[in-house]
Amino acid sequence: MAPQEVIYGKTDYKLLKEQFVLKGIPSSAGIALGNAIVLQPESLISPSIKIPSEEISNELLKFEKAHTNLVHQFMQSLHKVRSLGSNVIAILETNLLILTDPILYDGIRNRIKDGFSVESAIVSEFDNQRKFFLNASDALLQERANEIDNIKRKLLASLKDQSIDYEKSQQSIVVAQALTTTDIVNFKEAGILAIITEVGGVTSHASILARSFDIPAVIGVHNATDVIKNGTELIVDGFAGIVVVKPKKDVRDVYLQKIEALEEHKRNLGALAKLPSETFDGKRISLLGNVNFLDDVRSGEINGADGYGLVRSENLVMELKGFPDEETQYKWYREICERAYPKPVTIRVFDLGSDKFVEGLPIKEFNPALGLRGIRFLLSRQDIFKAQLRALLRASVNKNLKIMLPMVTSLHEVEISRKILEKCKTELQQDSVLFDNRIALGVMIETPAAAIISDGLAKVADFFSIGTNDLTQYTLAADRNNELVSDIFDDFHPSVLRLIDFIIKTAHKNGVTVSICGELAGHAAATQLLIGMDVDELSVAPSLLLELKNRIRSLTYSEAKLIAEDILNSNDYFEVKTKLEKAIGRHSITELNEI
Amino acid sequence: MVEKLVKVVNRSGIHTRPAASIVKLASKFKSEIYLIRDKFAINGKSIIGVMTLAAEQGSEIKVRAEGPDEQEAVDEIVKLFESGFGEI
Repeated sequence: MAPQEVIYGKTDYKLLKEQFVLKGIPSSAGIALGNAIVLQPESLISPSIKIPSEEISNELLKFEKAHTNLVHQFMQSLHKVRSLGSNVIAILETNLLILTDPILYDGIRNRIKDGFSVESAIVSEFDNQRKFFLNASDALLQERANEIDNIKRKLLASLKDQSIDYEKSQQSIVVAQALTTTDIVNFKEAGILAIITEVGGVTSHASILARSFDIPAVIGVHNATDVIKNGTELIVDGFAGIVVVKPKKDVRDVYLQKIEALEEHKRNLGALAKLPSETFDGKRISLLGNVNFLDDVRSGEINGADGYGLVRSENLVMELKGFPDEETQYKWYREICERAYPKPVTIRVFDLGSDKFVEGLPIKEFNPALGLRGIRFLLSRQDIFKAQLRALLRASVNKNLKIMLPMVTSLHEVEISRKILEKCKTELQQDSVLFDNRIALGVMIETPAAAIISDGLAKVADFFSIGTNDLTQYTLAADRNNELVSDIFDDFHPSVLRLIDFIIKTAHKNGVTVSICGELAGHAAATQLLIGMDVDELSVAPSLLLELKNRIRSLTYSEAKLIAEDILNSNDYFEVKTKLEKAIGRHSITELNEI
Repeated sequence: MVEKLVKVVNRSGIHTRPAASIVKLASKFKSEIYLIRDKFAINGKSIIGVMTLAAEQGSEIKVRAEGPDEQEAVDEIVKLFESGFGEI
């Protein structure tokens, strides 16, 4: 089997049936096999233990010493990551600022002066501050509550002079209740294989660090430090979010093969996956992955996707052979967003029509492509539309979700959709459900009507995504599924290219970004042309990402601009083709696309 | 005492990173610094305080300083807000 097939293959749950498997949340991609090192959690400390007044000054000294030591330790790890970019530095700086926060520091000292033990003072002051975060109406702030907890634990350990022996964790899998960012920096240095924690979210700073260090991590594994014994062999699957305890030989072999395939991938193309997607002369283009199923996020991750530009939510309908309820949808969207975090995810609302037939649609239309599909269908079935919008809003708590409307032909459709979205927000607010209040609502430009009124649409939509397959079919009046007119259906027809050019120019004039998510986005001959036309983002099947990035990195934007200008002046497809061949220096563009 | 009203202009509001920038800047001054929103005043040198302001884009914050370098402190902090914390 080719390495790609091994890595991209879906998680084989049948194989795991007779194994002891712990389920958690996938927070950092990758797979590891190794022995567990379990860090036992601290026992609970009461916040109200009193001390005799003659011990107060000694207790204050103990606090000073522990605090100074920890500040020193935090500064050291900050120093270690100096070369790793501003994101990682900012995370560690925040931790240091929390530790040295004057409110906390003075609060703890005052409480000791009031006659409480140093442990009690630390617990009560940290827990006091933590409450403000827990009550926050913002999921990201709530996550900071865990961080405050982790720093508290660290300070209590520092008091007992109990520091973790990081060196011992080399080539092992660390199992802990929670970890601070400092721990992760030190573990990375010691060379750990993977991380398993009981608490924490994908938006936690510890998770973000694990991802930037390429350490596989599964978080939110209940009772992990209790269930997993020191020294046990484990498999950590950071793609699926599972931990296999004491794997049997067949499971072990499958995972060893996966690890080998991942390493081969890293040797061959992995370097490219980590490089930025930019032209030789420094113009950045976001490369996004299209998602049909959950596992596509994994292949996007391996191939260095900057985000996910088109999640086809109708796949859920077709897989379940009916409309899923709000709860089912919410879980699916939430899981995609968490696996992708902090990268952005654009979910397209159900794009159903009679070519993608589902129960509940009009039985038969004479001309389905021109019928009740996309947003038209959803506006005719607002019960279905509302359930989907509510599920999407609920899944947006981490603020990396955008909503996209398909088959738009008028401003009115966008305005009504936004009204329904606002109504859903009000309902959720009344039930105190968290969501991203500033969630972006964009439209697909896939009809000539939408293209021509794109100046108006830019005022009611937050972003555009061009669906080239439908745009081509409608512009050329050629059914994309009808073989009799397949020679007429062509993405490179000058009318289609000029429409795309017009959409991009209009969008940019109005401050709206444009992505392309149709077949054209991944076409080898189109890359230079689209970049010359100033497209912001390209969204393709994850398996095409690296080839596309390779092409982008080897071309220059200035040259692409000249070529695009020349090609847009063509009058027919043959002229476009001749110019493209000349520009690319190959004989046939069809041949090129097959590479 | 010096006070000035300022608007949060960056899209994502005062989340963790801007909060850290504010606290690092505020800590450079000798004056007491407060950020006031809806009559709720927090210590500008406390990251926990600044983060819990949870100020979104468009919200108005009053920056207040009291002390020997109060004018300079308010000017600099207002400038930081107006720059969108380097996120625009």
